[in-house]
Parts: sequence; structure tokens; C-alpha cells
Amino acid sequence: MTRHLLLTSLLALAAGSATADEIRVLNWQGYGTDLDWAVEAYAAATGNTVLHEYFTSEQEMLTKLRTNPGAYDVVLINAAFTRQAKDEGLIGPIDTTSMTNFENISNGFTTDSELVIEDAVYGVPWTWGLTSFAINTNAFETAPDTIQVFWDPAHKGRVSIRDDALEAVQFGALATGQNINDVKDLDSVEKKLNELMPQIRTFWSSENDWNQYMAADELDLATYWSGSAARSADMGLPVAFVVPKEGAVAWLDGLSIPASSTHKDAATQFIDWMIDPDFYTRWDAEGAPASANAAAAEALADTSFNKRVLGDPDVVARVQFQKPVDDATRETYLELWQGLKARQ
Amino acid sequence: MAQAPIPGDGRRAAGLLAPAYLWLTLAVFLPLSAMLFFSFLTAAPFGTESPRATLENYRDFFETPTYALLLWKSIRLGLWVTLLCVLIGFPCALVLARQIRGRAREALFLLVILPFWSNSLVRVFSWAIVLRGNGVLDRTLDALLPFDVRLGLMFTPAAVVIGLVHSYLPYVILTSYLALQAIEDDIFDAARALGAGRITILRRLILPLSLPGLIAGAVLVFVPVVGSFMEPRILGGRFGTYFGTVIEDQFVAVFNWPLGAALSFILLAVVLAILGLSSPVLRRGLT
Amino acid sequence: MTGLRLAGLMWLGLVLIFLYAPILVMAAMSFNASPFYQLPFEFSARWYHDLAENAAIRNAATRSVLIAVATTIIATSLGTAAALALFRHDFRGKRLLKLLLFPPIAIPWLITGTAMLIFFFAIGLGRGTPAVLIGHVALALPYVIVVVNARLAGFDITLEEAARALGAGPWTVTRRVTLPAIAPGIVAGALFAFAVSFDQFVVSYFLSKPGDSTLPVLIYTAIRKGFTPEINAVSTLIIVTSMALMLVVARFFSFGGHR
Repeated sequence: MTRHLLLTSLLALAAGSATADEIRVLNWQGYGTDLDWAVEAYAAATGNTVLHEYFTSEQEMLTKLRTNPGAYDVVLINAAFTRQAKDEGLIGPIDTTSMTNFENISNGFTTDSELVIEDAVYGVPWTWGLTSFAINTNAFETAPDTIQVFWDPAHKGRVSIRDDALEAVQFGALATGQNINDVKDLDSVEKKLNELMPQIRTFWSSENDWNQYMAADELDLATYWSGSAARSADMGLPVAFVVPKEGAVAWLDGLSIPASSTHKDAATQFIDWMIDPDFYTRWDAEGAPASANAAAAEALADTSFNKRVLGDPDVVARVQFQKPVDDATRETYLELWQGLKARQ
Repeated sequence: MAQAPIPGDGRRAAGLLAPAYLWLTLAVFLPLSAMLFFSFLTAAPFGTESPRATLENYRDFFETPTYALLLWKSIRLGLWVTLLCVLIGFPCALVLARQIRGRAREALFLLVILPFWSNSLVRVFSWAIVLRGNGVLDRTLDALLPFDVRLGLMFTPAAVVIGLVHSYLPYVILTSYLALQAIEDDIFDAARALGAGRITILRRLILPLSLPGLIAGAVLVFVPVVGSFMEPRILGGRFGTYFGTVIEDQFVAVFNWPLGAALSFILLAVVLAILGLSSPVLRRGLT
Repeated sequence: MTGLRLAGLMWLGLVLIFLYAPILVMAAMSFNASPFYQLPFEFSARWYHDLAENAAIRNAATRSVLIAVATTIIATSLGTAAALALFRHDFRGKRLLKLLLFPPIAIPWLITGTAMLIFFFAIGLGRGTPAVLIGHVALALPYVIVVVNARLAGFDITLEEAARALGAGPWTVTRRVTLPAIAPGIVAGALFAFAVSFDQFVVSYFLSKPGDSTLPVLIYTAIRKGFTPEINAVSTLIIVTSMALMLVVARFFSFGGHR
């Protein structure tokens, strides 16, 4: 059944492509675009092959785009960086008229988002998710409903946050009741984070660390990403994702086409397949972030984490979407964060 | 390049040196010169800003107490790791060079370096499995000792030192071994015949003669350890921030190559200054 | 005397245990069922089965070994030649040349890697295996030169003079007198060169073409989503193979130096 659906939707995509191309995708490793079955289905339908290259930080992704013009055809860019990439001339506007799935993307993402600049689409809204925290269910009788639990002496030496200046400052902003995109009182954020330091067992930097620390029972709770929490729970870890009453940070990832791409049609087809409900429902079963495509989100089973937790209107009302952060602010945050860590 | 006292001699020296140093020039010196140049700019030459010349990145180092604090922390880490590597590695090399004979020595020589043909990240994660609470070390000691053991080594500076000593110990062992093994047996026989005791032989013969090897090893440990950031991050937990971390951040977290490059060259200058100040002992080892 | 000898052997034994502890853990975890390295240990050959299916890891491992072997050969020959020149000859600028060996070691590889990336692009060399090899050899060279130099420091230069006095040409002197005497240093340098290349992540990462990744690149990029003990399995296979190979070499060749 699924196979049949995959084939028909892909055949629809295939109409229009005559010659076989090789497209190059720049993304995080293991983030949807490089699933074997997805690449094979795309190749079977269009005759185009997909080659992947990976980055390990957003800055590195930008550097790769800057130094390798013409090398990539599709690139994953977080909405907080899309405008910068556009301003540097690294990515171009995308012609969405040939995409069969574009019209199903939630209006919120296509009209009022950082991906659409001056009515031109510079990134096709693909996935979104939350940065909040997850708890070790063995350590809690009932799930906490407040971010202040990180400062609870009962969990001293059993908490962790990611080693990332921006995430740390935004976490502090939520805990001090501030707007994450416009932190007015940075001093109280610094003070709050300073009080958090003795509570911390270690910082985590990747999903891999996170899973290992949880599996080794080093932690009671730690900041985490929604999609990763779903995946960790799927893998059998005693983990539950929490969106506290103070709210959470939401992020949006888009798929863009570099201005220097030489296979723009094949790239557009690939992106169309990436936002296809058939692709998404199958990916969700393996642990995916939330889809920006309303039709795809709707197609999920009711038990799916993405529908159950992120589809909850109460949760949606509490999240703050992350806006672009300028270089000077990033530097200020980094200095604050490095200073806090250095004094340990 | 090489101006020699004897013309023919100089040509031969240049012939031997040229391939290695040309290679280094193309692949390391020129690229690093470009980085040195960037460290005097306001912005990396790829972004939207147009770069101007400035000394600001170097001034930043002196105006931000965090950097000096972390540099000092990294130097102390480097000294500790080097000291431990020397104290552990030199006796080991001595046993290998003077006590073990024949094929066994050949095999042991190879065994010392073989662990380093594995991936360093995998190695560090293996240390994490050993050191963490209720990990391999705790469990082993628990099984051996009658009382409860809770070492709590993971995510402490001690864990960082253990991981780094492990990574760099072979340099000291092998370079010391190379120097020790080159000493002729006759010298010891002669010394003993003249009535020298074991301590005297060690202090007056073995140490001075093997010093170049020992120093080469120590330098190969100290220099990279001061700039390390991966082992500290994974094993040190919240104590794992060092000077290498802030350099990495300038490239990974923000797009500030100029500052990152400036911090790297300050690191290089300080390391070279320390090596220079450690002479005259060092000079004997290096020339 | 026996007491001291025994203490020496015990010390050597303890150090070997310390050096091999994480390697043994790594090997053990490749047979542990938990993907998160959880204890207690539960035997499973699953990761070896997965590895047999995983062409990406096997190809990356093969590529890494080939690049490391090429790096070892080139860096060891060039490095030994340079070390010989630095040892034999006296000339102005020699101290500077020795000093220049430290920047590649002292400056974190991330910065050197970024510098290589932009420089290689600027001169039109671009990416690919040649660029990777150039970078690896350059990073391994200083180690070879320093290690071979450490051995040369104990070499009696008068032996070369004696050989020359007996009518041997420069090449014969090097081949018959010098090289055999410093062979342990060359072998140690080669072993380090292999280790530097085989574990080199940044340069391979920046300079290899998409799809041509090496084992360290695969490991570092996989870490974001979590890597599985398949990595332990492939590392264990490599270590066991090299150990067998080395013991054979140790059985038939002599390079540790004889008296």
C-alpha cells in the first residue's frame, strides 16, 4: 500500500525530467534527506542520483557554501540563518509552482516566516521542532511542569544543558520570563545561569552524548530537542519530553537551493519529495521532527509523538519561534557563556 | 634557504631538506600565513562585511579576562600531562631498552603504539565507559575490594588528565626508548668498573645521554595538549572548558575567524616562548 | 638486582594495561548488545552482522587505510631525509627550520584544516584525494622529523666519517651505516605517521569529495545522531589485524635496534 502510494506520487514528480542528474545535498548526517529508502525511491522515480555531504555546525554549512560555489544543489538551512544566506547571495529564490506539495504547507510557515523574503521563497519549510527538555522517567513520579526544576537542589549534579551559547542564553531567558528573541535583561540571565552551574553534571553536545548519558543513568533531566526525544524514547530509553509552563523555543528548518546550483529542476523535485506526506509518515515512524506540511502532519497516526505532543494547541500557544540572531548578539552571548564556563 | 659553510655540503643539505619543507610550505605554512593575515582583519574575507586592518583581535585577548584565565588553565593542564607522561613513560622506556632483549622487545615496541591506530573519539568514549559512575572501573574495583567503591572520576579535571596522558604517553615512551637504546653497553661496563653505583649511572650517564629523546617526547606531548579541546569536553563535564574550546567556538559557534586565528597565534607564541624559556636544557635537546 | 628487574617488568606491565584498557573496552562494547554502551554486558554479534551489511563503513575504513599507508610512506621518506640534513649539516637558519615544525603541531587542527581549505581553493587545487594526501603528509611530517631526530641525537657521526674515509660514497654511507643505526627511529616515525593520518578528521573532512569519506569523518559526522557500536566493531577488526601483522613483522624483521 505504502509502496504504491510512494510510486504514484513519485511518478507525478518525475514528469518533466528528461535527463539523469546527480544532485548534491548538504545537511546534518542522519537528518531525513539521506534515508536509504527515500533516496532510492527518488532515484527510481526520477532517474536522478543523490550524493550527500554533511556539516556539523551552521557556521560550517555557510563556510562550505561560500567556498564551494556550484558544489551543492540542496541545502538544509535553519530559518534563523536563511536571511543571512540570502543576503550573502548564497541561495536563490525557489520556483514553487512545479511543486505538488507546496500548497499544503501550513500558512503560518509560508507567509509569516523567515524563509519567505519579499514574497520570494528562499527556503521551503520542511520540519520544525522544539528545544525544551526531557526527563529520565525513573527519576520523577510525575513530570514537572516548570523549567525551575533545573534549579531544584534535589537534582543537584544530575542535570545537563547543551554546550551552546545561544541555547543556553535562550534557556536562561525562558527561566527569567523573557522574550527569547529580545533579551532585555542579560544580567539576570547570566545570574540565573550562574546559579545553574553547580547543578550541572556535564554539558552535552550531540544526540549521541545525550543518549549515552541517559543510558548510563548520569542524568535526571536535560535540555533536548523534540524530534530527538521521540527517537530516544523509541530506542527504549526512559525518556519523556516536557514543554514547561514557561514555554519553549521553536525552530524551523527549510530546504534551500544554492544560487550556484546547476541542477535546479532536479533539486526542486527532490524538495517536493521531501515534503511529501508519504515520505513524512514513513520517516516519522523512525523518529522525525514535526513536518511543516499540514497534510503530512495530518496523515500521522494519532499515537505519533509529533501529533500527540506538538499537535496540542496548548503547547503551540506556549512556544516562541526563534528569530534570526545577528553576529554582534551571537558574540555577546558567546562571551557570556564562555565566561560562565571558564569560572568553573 | 640553507647557507652552508662548504658549498657542496650546502647543496646536499638543501637537496635533503627541500622535499619536506616545500611540502610543508605548500600545505601548512602558506595556509597558516593566510590565517595570520586574517587575524589582523575585522572580518573574515567571505562574509558580507568588507574587512579592514586592525589589531583589535589581539587587544581582545588582553581585555577579556576569560581568555587569559583559560590559557593559564590550559598551560597548567599541559604541564601536568607532560610531567605525568615523563614520570610514567621514562621508566617504562628504560625497562624496554635495557632489560628486555630479542624478539620480545620488537613486539613490545610495536604494542606500545598500536592503541593509537584506533580512532581518538572512540578511545575517549571508551574512557568514559571506564570512568563513569558504576562504569567498568567502579565495577572492577567493587569486585576486587571488600568495600563499596565510588570514585566519581567522570566529569572531573582528573578524568581529562587520565584521557590525555593515555593519548600522549606513547610519544614519551618511544622517543625515550630511541635515545636510551642508542647508548652503547660499554659505557655502563666502564662506569661500573670505575665503581659507579646504580644511582650515579642513572643520574650521570643515562639521564644526560637520553635527554634529547626525553625532551623530544615531552615537547610532542606539551605542545598539542595545550590546544586540546575534545578530550576535555567529553571527559571534563562542566570543568572541561579550556583555551582550545574558545578557539573552536570562534569557528563553530560564531563566524569570527579573525579572533579565532588571533587566539591560535597567541597560543602558538606562548607555547614557543615556554619552549624557549625552558632552555638551556631544551636547547641541548633540540640542536 | 632481581628485585629491581621484577619491579621494572611490573611497571611495564601496568603501563601496557593502562594503554590497552580503553582498547579492550572498545572491543568488548563491539560485542555488547546495547547501542548506548550500557552495562551490564550482554553478548551479541549484532554489530558485526550490521557491519557486514554496511558498505559505507567498510569503504571508508578501506580508504582510510590506503591514505594512511600512502601518507606513512611519503612522510617517512621525506621526514627522514630532512632529519638527516638537520643532523649532519650546520647552516644558518637551521634553528628556524626546527622551530617551524611546531606550528602544525601547536595550532589546533581545526584552524589548520580551515586554512588548508581556503588556500587549496584559492590556488585551484580544490578537493579530492590528492588534496587530502597533501594535507595528511604535511601534518605527519613534523612528527617524523622530531622522532627521527631524537634517534639521530644518539648516533655517532664519526661512524659516517670513518666510512667516508674508507672510500664509501655519500649514498653508500647513508644506506649501509646511517640508516641501519637509526632504523628504530624511522620505524617509530612511520608508526606515528600512520596514527596521525589514520585518526585525522579535520583535514579529510574539509578536503575530501562528497561520498569519499574516511572512517574518522564518518565517525565525527555520525556523532550528532549517535553512532552505533559498529564503529567499535570496525575499529576492533583493524586493531586485531594490525596486531597480527605487526607480530609477524616483529618475528621476521629486526628494527628495534640491536646491541
